[in-house]
Amino acid sequence: MLRLILKRLGLMIVMLLGLAVITFTIANVAPGDPARLAAGPDASQEMVEQVRAERGFDKPVPVRFFIYLGQLARGDLGTSVYTGREVARDIAQFLPATLELVLFSITIAVVFGIPLGVLAAVWQNKAGDHGIRLLAVSGAALPMFWLGLMLQWYLALELDLFPLGGRLGVFDDVPPKITGMITIDALLDGDPGTAFTALWHMVLPALALSLPALAAIIRVNRAEMLEVLGRDYVTNARAQGIGPFRIIAAYALKNAILPTLAMIGLRFGWMLGGTVLVEGVFDFPGVGLYAAKAAVSSDFEPIMAVTLILGAAFMVTNLLIDLAYALLDPRVRNQI
Amino acid sequence: MTDSSTPTLEIRDFSLVFDTFDGTYHAIDKVNLTLRPGEAMGLVGETGCGKSVLTRAAFGLVPTPPARITSGSVTLEGRELLGLSDRALRGVRGKDVAMIFQDPMTYLNPVFRIGTQLVDAIRAQSGGKASKAEARALALEMLDKVHLPNPERQFRSYPHELSGGMRQRVLIAMALAAKPKLLIADEPTTALDVTIQAQILDLMAELVEDMGLTMIMISHDLGVVAQVCSRVAVMYAGKIVEDAPIRQIFDAPSHPYTQGLLAALPHPFKPVDKLASIPGSLPDLLNPPEGCRFAARCAKAHAACAAPVDFRTVGPGHEVACTLYDLAETKELAHEH
Ligand SMILES: Nc1ncnc2c1ncn2[C@@H]1O[C@H](COP(=O)(O)OP(=O)(O)OP(=O)(O)O)[C@@H](O)[C@H]1O
Ligand code: SF4
Ligand SMILES: [Mg+2]
Repeated sequence: MLRLILKRLGLMIVMLLGLAVITFTIANVAPGDPARLAAGPDASQEMVEQVRAERGFDKPVPVRFFIYLGQLARGDLGTSVYTGREVARDIAQFLPATLELVLFSITIAVVFGIPLGVLAAVWQNKAGDHGIRLLAVSGAALPMFWLGLMLQWYLALELDLFPLGGRLGVFDDVPPKITGMITIDALLDGDPGTAFTALWHMVLPALALSLPALAAIIRVNRAEMLEVLGRDYVTNARAQGIGPFRIIAAYALKNAILPTLAMIGLRFGWMLGGTVLVEGVFDFPGVGLYAAKAAVSSDFEPIMAVTLILGAAFMVTNLLIDLAYALLDPRVRNQI
Repeated sequence: MTDSSTPTLEIRDFSLVFDTFDGTYHAIDKVNLTLRPGEAMGLVGETGCGKSVLTRAAFGLVPTPPARITSGSVTLEGRELLGLSDRALRGVRGKDVAMIFQDPMTYLNPVFRIGTQLVDAIRAQSGGKASKAEARALALEMLDKVHLPNPERQFRSYPHELSGGMRQRVLIAMALAAKPKLLIADEPTTALDVTIQAQILDLMAELVEDMGLTMIMISHDLGVVAQVCSRVAVMYAGKIVEDAPIRQIFDAPSHPYTQGLLAALPHPFKPVDKLASIPGSLPDLLNPPEGCRFAARCAKAHAACAAPVDFRTVGPGHEVACTLYDLAETKELAHEH
């Protein structure tokens, strides 16, 4: 087990390097003079040249890549032109909001997706199954961005059930920062009211982020359950007189959940990417919105940093999923 | 309560169809079977003839739909089972009627420990009355009884850590823990190596003897059946065609299909070679013939075989569904080879 973790962490470093190469290349083939961008629109030509020399923009691209790697290794993610601050500081400020939102979203997708997939399989071809599958098909077909706009327009503007955006209301006090995740900080501060308000602000963006994942989880889990319920070991369990609840919730689900887990990992990645769109719609101050704003102003260092961080988050999640896999399936456990 | 004249299992006039996309598939047609206490009966016939469907559907183990039971009755020690609720049938399965199956590789759940599965089964068989500790003690006792080496250790193992023969022993232990009134063994050795097959058959014969089991043993293989059973029912295309004591089947096989089975079996302990010697194929059960279902492959078929064929008694406890045994002249034809 420990060997697997170490091996995977090593692999992660290699993959992150690859990701750094890709983002760095894209940032450097993009049109525009990075020195001018960094110096700002009002800078004189001399100032631009000075910045070029200072920041090493005059050196060849491969050399600059190694300089960049050196910076990364020191934890220096560069400076944002847009906020004028160190990218590392910006990310420390915005990342907890995104993590909070994405964790809430994946929780919604898993907590509803797995039981709905199971129920659809148990009710195969009955009304309940059709209803659940309709949800699954629409969730898969609708783009997150559009979904976010529609939710915002209908549930927030028309029905006024949820706030339009943000993390808290204008007059709410932000709890003292511990983790940066407002719900958790508020709970730690003994303020469940604020925790709830923060959660309430996340409902719509989380729905937009989670519906596609929810749909995918339902589909995979339903198909796997149907398959597993037809397996011989289920017949044997029934032949022993074991009741339907134990058969479905334990004997079948523990087998069906394995492929579903892989899907959850994949969808978590999509969700991370989706924050760039959805945080924009809901004016939710996370790294997604930060990256989107940086992209608009061709501010590459924040974009590269966010890409690397989201990439790392995706890889860590998939490692966790593989560990869960091993925990659930003794055959996998024996191999590692 | 039950005297010795009450059969353990009585299946009367049992018919089952599958509603398929192509039409109604008449999988089981008017089957009759009686099993007396302590009797071990073999059920043989080529693949697809309905052995598994019959013995599973009788106890509610075939999903409906697509299956539909169209007639008949199934009684266990006089108690009617058809029409019982799912819950009531669950009380019968495991406790009164136990089953072991063909492929021990697939009938144990890969992600649960052997012990967990045994304890679950034993508790279900007891109707939830057995405590975990009681179930565990009984499980270990049963593992010992089926001669599984190192029961304490295997109890904590997962199925993939056991060999096929060991897994089949586990499944036998699971099936017999509740001392069932009836055991259905559906080709319990087919998937195993020959040497392991012999060991499992020995074990089954031992348990039949020790526990006084009443059993139906399904097989393609008359040789296997002969080792454990005293009686054989031969099934063809969803119908029982001959039902006789095992000696009679070998000495005086009466149905042309049984004769074909034996002809394909030069030595009684050599497995049937998939009926290579009987030309023709199974009838189309979407549109089954009204008369004898074997007629298309039968060398002795004649006009009378086109009408429905009932059982005739041709010896003590020996019945056959064939028109050859009605008239003096056809009786002679029956045993010509
Ligand atoms: N769900 C189903 N839908 C349609 N037909 C089915 C279904 N299940 C079984 N059958 C049909 O019922 C017939 C009997 O099948 P069964 O499994 O009882 O055969 P068997 O005698 O046990 O064969 P084997 O020796 O190969 O185990 C087969 O022809 C099969 O095609
Ligand atoms: S009933 Fe007729 S067709 Fe059927 S087995 Fe007997 S002789 Fe052959
Ligand atoms: Mg079968």
